Amino acid sequence: MPSPAETLLKPLTIKHLTLRNRVMSTSHAPGYGSEGKPKERYQLYHEEKAKGGIALTMFGGSSSVAVDSPAAPWNQISVADDSVIPFLREFSDRVHRHGAALMIQLTHMGRRTRWDTEHWLPTVSASARREPAHRNTPKEMEDWDFTRIIASFAAAARRCKEGGLDGFELSAAHGHLIDQFWSPSVNRRTDKYGGSLENRMRFGIEVFEAIRAEVGDDYIVGIRMSGDELIDDGLTNEDCVTIARTYAERGLIDFVNVLGGQARDHMAHAISLPNMSFPVAPFLHLPSSIKREVGIPVFHAQRVTDLATAARAVEEGHVDMVAMTRAHIADPHLMRKLAEGRLDDVRQCVGAGYCIDRIYVGGDALCIQNAATGREATMPHVIAKAPARRRVVVVGAGPAGLEAARVCAERGHSVLLLERAPASGGQISVAAKATWREALTGITRWLTQQAVRLGVEIRYGVEATAALVQAEQPDVVIVATGGRPDRGDFPGADLAVTTWDVLTGVVEPTGSVLMYDGTGQHHGASCAEFMATRGALVEIATPDRMVAEEVGTTNQPIHLRELYRLGVMMTTNHTLVEVYPEGNRRVAVLRNDYTHEEEERLVDQIVVELGTQPNDGLYLDLKEQAANRGQTDLDRLLSGQPQPVPTSGYALFRIGDAVAGRNIHAAIYDAARLCKDL
Amino acid sequence: MIAAALSTVTLTVLLVGLGLALVQARRWRAGRSAKVGVWAGLAALPARYLVDVHEVVGRTPFNARFHALTAGGFLASLALSVALALPPLRHPLLWGLLALTLAVMLAGGMMVGYRRRVLRPAELSGGRFSRLPLALTGFSAAFLLVALDQSAGGILPVWLVLTLVAVGGWGLAELVFGVWNGPLKHAVHGALHLAFHPRPARFHDGAGRDTGLRPLDLAQADAPLGAGQAVDFAWNRLLGFDACVQCGRCESACPAYAAGLPLNPKKLVQDLVLSLDDGSDDRAYAGHGHPGRPVGAAVTGPTRPLVGADALIHPDTLWACTTCRACVQECPMMIEHVDAVVDLRRFQTLERGATPVKAAGVLEELRATDTPSGRALDRRLDWAVDLRLPVLAAGETCDTLLWLGDGAFDLRNQRSLRALVLLLRRAGVEFAVLGAAELDCGDVARRLGDEATFQDLARRNIQTLEARRFRRIVTADPHAFHCLRNEYPALGGRWTVQHHSAVLLELLTSGALTVTRPLDGPVAYHDPCYLGRYNGEIDAPRAVLDAIGAQRREMERSGLRSRCCGGGGGAPLTDVVGERRIPDMRMDDARATGAPTLAVGCPTCTLMLEGVVEPRPQVAELAELVLTATEPTP
Repeated sequence: MPSPAETLLKPLTIKHLTLRNRVMSTSHAPGYGSEGKPKERYQLYHEEKAKGGIALTMFGGSSSVAVDSPAAPWNQISVADDSVIPFLREFSDRVHRHGAALMIQLTHMGRRTRWDTEHWLPTVSASARREPAHRNTPKEMEDWDFTRIIASFAAAARRCKEGGLDGFELSAAHGHLIDQFWSPSVNRRTDKYGGSLENRMRFGIEVFEAIRAEVGDDYIVGIRMSGDELIDDGLTNEDCVTIARTYAERGLIDFVNVLGGQARDHMAHAISLPNMSFPVAPFLHLPSSIKREVGIPVFHAQRVTDLATAARAVEEGHVDMVAMTRAHIADPHLMRKLAEGRLDDVRQCVGAGYCIDRIYVGGDALCIQNAATGREATMPHVIAKAPARRRVVVVGAGPAGLEAARVCAERGHSVLLLERAPASGGQISVAAKATWREALTGITRWLTQQAVRLGVEIRYGVEATAALVQAEQPDVVIVATGGRPDRGDFPGADLAVTTWDVLTGVVEPTGSVLMYDGTGQHHGASCAEFMATRGALVEIATPDRMVAEEVGTTNQPIHLRELYRLGVMMTTNHTLVEVYPEGNRRVAVLRNDYTHEEEERLVDQIVVELGTQPNDGLYLDLKEQAANRGQTDLDRLLSGQPQPVPTSGYALFRIGDAVAGRNIHAAIYDAARLCKDL
Repeated sequence: MIAAALSTVTLTVLLVGLGLALVQARRWRAGRSAKVGVWAGLAALPARYLVDVHEVVGRTPFNARFHALTAGGFLASLALSVALALPPLRHPLLWGLLALTLAVMLAGGMMVGYRRRVLRPAELSGGRFSRLPLALTGFSAAFLLVALDQSAGGILPVWLVLTLVAVGGWGLAELVFGVWNGPLKHAVHGALHLAFHPRPARFHDGAGRDTGLRPLDLAQADAPLGAGQAVDFAWNRLLGFDACVQCGRCESACPAYAAGLPLNPKKLVQDLVLSLDDGSDDRAYAGHGHPGRPVGAAVTGPTRPLVGADALIHPDTLWACTTCRACVQECPMMIEHVDAVVDLRRFQTLERGATPVKAAGVLEELRATDTPSGRALDRRLDWAVDLRLPVLAAGETCDTLLWLGDGAFDLRNQRSLRALVLLLRRAGVEFAVLGAAELDCGDVARRLGDEATFQDLARRNIQTLEARRFRRIVTADPHAFHCLRNEYPALGGRWTVQHHSAVLLELLTSGALTVTRPLDGPVAYHDPCYLGRYNGEIDAPRAVLDAIGAQRREMERSGLRSRCCGGGGGAPLTDVVGERRIPDMRMDDARATGAPTLAVGCPTCTLMLEGVVEPRPQVAELAELVLTATEPTP
């Protein structure tokens, strides 16, 4: 097998367009749109990938072509009128400047959207069948809807061409309007648009024909579609192959972008955006099956997180272009590093799904480990050297401390990193012990390796004291000592153990266990899974309305699936109010948050997850003698100004969970934002 | 009587010596014919000796001094001794003069003795050379006493003087009979070699440098291609080998020898000398051998195979050479070792198909695909899709034709090519590339002895180039630079060819490139052999580094005496094992400078040196450094 570079750095020509290599990013909706336009933030995010060597970056997942397919409420792109064109032009220029190609995804969502937003128009679909994910029942499309929507597709296509984009794809995946027509589970029509597959394909064909009539045969137009809906009443692989072949043979499409599954329900959604619990490239066989049958390039995205897998997908002939969308969120300079022979410097996506989970709750896409992604206007992906070299002591080699050490070393400072434990990782090392969460260690493994490469001196097994830190005569001290588990303050709290005790092996889970989860994050659910796989009889109780309520849409279904599979009992809407002993066992008192009725559980162990309390002892010891008394100048922090560093003595900063228990991204952002200007 | 005795002894010895030299000459007359300008060569001889030879010898001033004293004194004393044969000249003044020249020679002889007995440089051969100081001092001291005695009117008893004449005669015979197979062989052969040298253009009366290999006539039916046995070499090549004085300067310079590869250029030349003796062996050779190879195992003979597992030259010895020319650069006898190596390789490759495995594979690829790596030609621009390089089609014109070379197929070197392209754009140079029409220049094929593939590639490249018009060819690859500039002309292709270091210097000097971010740090520069020794270009890269603000540090062995990276001549393909890797040794030179950056100007050097395990200085191509230093300020 040739090297990844040999395989992936091979151009691909589609009509007049030559893509510089085989790696792309698929259209997605990072929530960076503003008033339905791709403005500076959106453009900078993609420009960074172009700078980083990507061949083709596609933006604007589910960009709307019509007013009854709302986009703006989710900070997405609307191509439904000409006001978007100047932004597309600016965007194209920006990306083309770095030698990459730029395309957009156009769609009409049909029933896969909401009616109670933007223009308050009813949704439409092939048939009036309720869509479970968005909980709405659409109107069945009538004759003038066809005319109107087909015309709006064509008009949107024209705007793409006028905007200087290299092409676009229509989304016919994840249950959008075109594949609503294809799928017998939605399309119950009896006219020429329903019934046989030929009829069900008709609407899409008419859309593409109108587009071709508008933009001509030499403009690049593709389709995104499923290779198998993986449900009983959905499209089979055979159907999908037929559809792709038919559209390709008619000259309607220039590429086909294939994915596996659909997104009708929570589990299907999680499967279509595979997280770290999945093997890499789980659906590669689907584009492969279509590539065998069509004569146009095949694209594919779905958990291709490493270049070796990407190269295999191309080299073995499964796909022509491999999309590493989340891999680029983690490291937009992926391809440049490949070309420069710096594979070790690639910050590899760990599949945490943090980026995508945020957008489904109305947030913006942010990378769990790369604080610069989506913040290109203020946060650099390549750290510049500082004007003066300083002595920096960082305490704690968790994500915050490692990122601080890495960024400071990139700045050219002399960095000493002190860690109490015999290895780096901090709380990530604890979290990663829980079953499928193992891949989280990739975050700190990369940070550690970068710190070492950059010459950071790391001393393990050293309990930092104020005297020890001061003896290093630092200019800057960064305390990133993390947190310790909050044990709770209910009566009998000392009779319970924490998720940390279980995951680190201090306490072996045996017999019956009550897992009380007060945070609704991954910790409680994954620890319950961990204990159940080790043979404990586990009940997970939470005051939330559901288990793992704070976990996002691509991860929570996996937790629920595992908990159900393992027979974990799930008790919601209950707060743990007291624990008392009974012989060698424990009694947990759970109070219903709505009725205030109390229930008791007689169990062998009670495990609690209540977040962390900061380890602030060292910070407080160092604070009195610090020139800034530990204060971070927030105005300077937010405006990208360096924090004042004293000419004698040291400046002291506290970051991550050592300040207040939050999450991995917060820890890394704390560190990167502070240190990039130090 | 004394004068008659002395002059008779001298004349007799010289006549015998002349006879021996003539017999010796018959050995190399067995070689192939060669076109030689006999009279022009003889006429140029003294100046070549005084200018070209002196330049080389003078690099070690002590040696130059003793050589001048010894040889000058010796030649003058011989002339005066012969003059004593004429009675009218037997004047005390002449004796005095003779005494003076002999005193000069004695001083030189004592210096030779000091060098051989006290300094004892490791690279010197022993054997008959060990007796040299005794012969030199014996002759000069004995005759000096005679001359002093005679100039003073004859004070010593006659029997004593005659004994001294006999002793001096022995010393003289020892020296002069050395033209047969001893130290003084070099005097006669060296002089003749200077006159009949196969590369007269290398001397100051020619171009001053002549490094391109000569095309092999592939159509010749009657003779083998290349040299398989001693007599396959041209006679003046054999003469050249015979000129070897076994001083060991080549041995000290050879990177393969230093790395413990089984190649000692001095021994190689001696192998070629010995091969003219029939039925002998190399047991009498008294210098360092080819590392790891035994002596005395093979039988010599002018028509025996030179190269083979049981032959005088083991294949590993032949294929260990990087063709770096360090030996040629150092040789005071102007021997062309690399020509000999390539002649031997030509026979092995073209007549015997005995190219070592990996190298044979590359030659196969070159024949089949016109690239050494077997990639399709249209993939040469794969790395540059986003640069949209203009491709010069047949009939089109451009100012600068950028010859990309094999580096365009290599991930690492694509980076430096990208930097070069961006620089040319930044400087507003109008340039184009050949795209898929560019074939491999043929360097590796030629150095591996595959002259047929080289000529095929070269002819087709020349056709391609002739169909296009441009002012100059620019390349970042010194190997392509050398082929296009020095070896294509013999096949009919003549253009202005520049290495990119010269172009970058031109752009920096003219102001087309402005230094905005001076490098501001120590940088060591490694001279590529094919740029430095092969083309004499050692200044432009240094001037470029100076222009971008580098604090340049010179390595041990630099400039024309630079050490090879180990990557030339197909050596990475033949992959002969030694005790160390050549690039590791070279990197040690770079480390010793303390510079964190090692600047290079050759794709092969880049790969070889970057292949050295860290920690080591970072390897940066000149174009990459210039690109950073001339980044426009926002």
